[in-house]
Amino acid sequence: MIALYRFLFLIFLIVLWWVISLNVRANFIPSPWATLLAAQKLLADGKLIVALGDSLITFAGGYALGILVAIPVGLVMGVFLPVGKTLEIYVYALAAMPRVAFIPLIIVFLGLGFPAKIFIVFLGAVMPVLINTYAGVLAVDQELIEMARSVRAGRMQIFARIVLPSAVPFIIVGLRLGATIALINTVVAELYTAVRGLGGLLAIYGNTFRMAEYFVIVIVLAIIGVIVSEGLRHLEKRLVRWKTSD
Amino acid sequence: MTSGNSSGEAAAAASAKIVLSGVSKAFERRNSGTPTMALQHLDMSVPEGHFVSILGPSGCGKTTVLRLVDGLVPPDSGSVVVAGQAPRPGPEMGFVFQAFRLIPWATVQANVEFALTATGLNKHERAERAARYIALVGLQRFAQSYPGELSGGMKQRVALARAFASEPSILLMDEPFASIDAQTRELMQVELMKLWAQHRATVLFVTHSVDEAIMLADRVVLMSPRPGRVIEEIEVDLPHPRWQYDIRATPRFVELRSYLWAAIKDLVLNDPSSDFYAPTSGNAGTPAD
Repeated sequence: MIALYRFLFLIFLIVLWWVISLNVRANFIPSPWATLLAAQKLLADGKLIVALGDSLITFAGGYALGILVAIPVGLVMGVFLPVGKTLEIYVYALAAMPRVAFIPLIIVFLGLGFPAKIFIVFLGAVMPVLINTYAGVLAVDQELIEMARSVRAGRMQIFARIVLPSAVPFIIVGLRLGATIALINTVVAELYTAVRGLGGLLAIYGNTFRMAEYFVIVIVLAIIGVIVSEGLRHLEKRLVRWKTSD
Repeated sequence: MTSGNSSGEAAAAASAKIVLSGVSKAFERRNSGTPTMALQHLDMSVPEGHFVSILGPSGCGKTTVLRLVDGLVPPDSGSVVVAGQAPRPGPEMGFVFQAFRLIPWATVQANVEFALTATGLNKHERAERAARYIALVGLQRFAQSYPGELSGGMKQRVALARAFASEPSILLMDEPFASIDAQTRELMQVELMKLWAQHRATVLFVTHSVDEAIMLADRVVLMSPRPGRVIEEIEVDLPHPRWQYDIRATPRFVELRSYLWAAIKDLVLNDPSSDFYAPTSGNAGTPAD
């Protein structure tokens, strides 16, 4: 039923888009039909696929690197509290500052290619995952840990059976936030370093007022966002199936 | 009704399974920073195979006694000796917690198996043992369920199965039936008596219910609130097995019950930090100005 409503709403959005496109002068808003034609052309000449591939490598590389760093660091901070209490203020400071400010510095050290782009995405993705992992470990039920101690479970076992599973829902929230920021930073990186990928096409078509092509790119980015967040939602369902609600 | 001379006490202590002598324990208050005395100079001994209820108003450090006996926290002063040694948490002691403390992401089976971690049983034996105790509390159909899918009474049965599964020689029970409804509680009490009849462990059972304390125990230890001390120990000389007759109808039960009720009421009314503070003795409450 919800699927049907969603589909109907999509139709409504497309109709709305079409109506707006008819009423805005000078083709600033392309019609859905013109956009579809542009998409066909972009697919046919391979431009879209190449750009998509570039962007996905940047996104996946930076995001994966972020996760690989953030989860272990967050776990260490949470398990060894003196480490966590020492570092947390710096982590929060770094998370609160606009990391786009580092881009000139990154270009100086890493140039304009993939390493720089991946690092920009990494910087965006790492913080939410790290902070949520840390919070997840801190939120562990101390009564469960005492229960585990009362049956003489070892430290590794308490970590694996109590601490880690209790942090999983928090980590997934971090992964979702991280994915969003990683996607944003992918486009930012492609705009500010070597102009490539979907962000590059966005800049080219935007600057030359080729609005139909420009809209194709915007829609592709939206679709990537949906796919990634839906994927994570399914992962969450699998991992926290013990929760009776939802 | 208190126990006799000091040499008799010493002899009893020598053969006792659990001995607390002169135990004091304070806790840091999270907000104020000043420590709160939970227990002060507490002496208690439990003979092997006895079922002892610890009865007292809320906030008298009953739970602290159990955590000390299990070795989860050390005493500030005095000594705790369990089976002739300093206590060490493990499968030799089963702990039934007040709020169940089941692992939400583990099935009933996995929850019970978790308590067998340090028993030295292999994986297969652990699974078998857990299944046996889950069946014993009548939950075999729910072995693969998660705690979130169970009712309060069922969760409590899982907690009982978990505590019994390691076949401990000591059982520590912290108001295990406080949070379940009255009818389920009655049934669980019988279930506990039956389990205890089969596996005669030494039991320390904390409760604030006078009826429950008398019904289950060989001896009731009455504790005072803030800081907790032992006020009195009362032998419950009613025959076992007690689920086979209406224990509440016996004159001895009625007598013990009214005696303990009067004692508890007295404790609560004279406790300055209780909601019902209304001192009966002259010097307890000095009027302002």
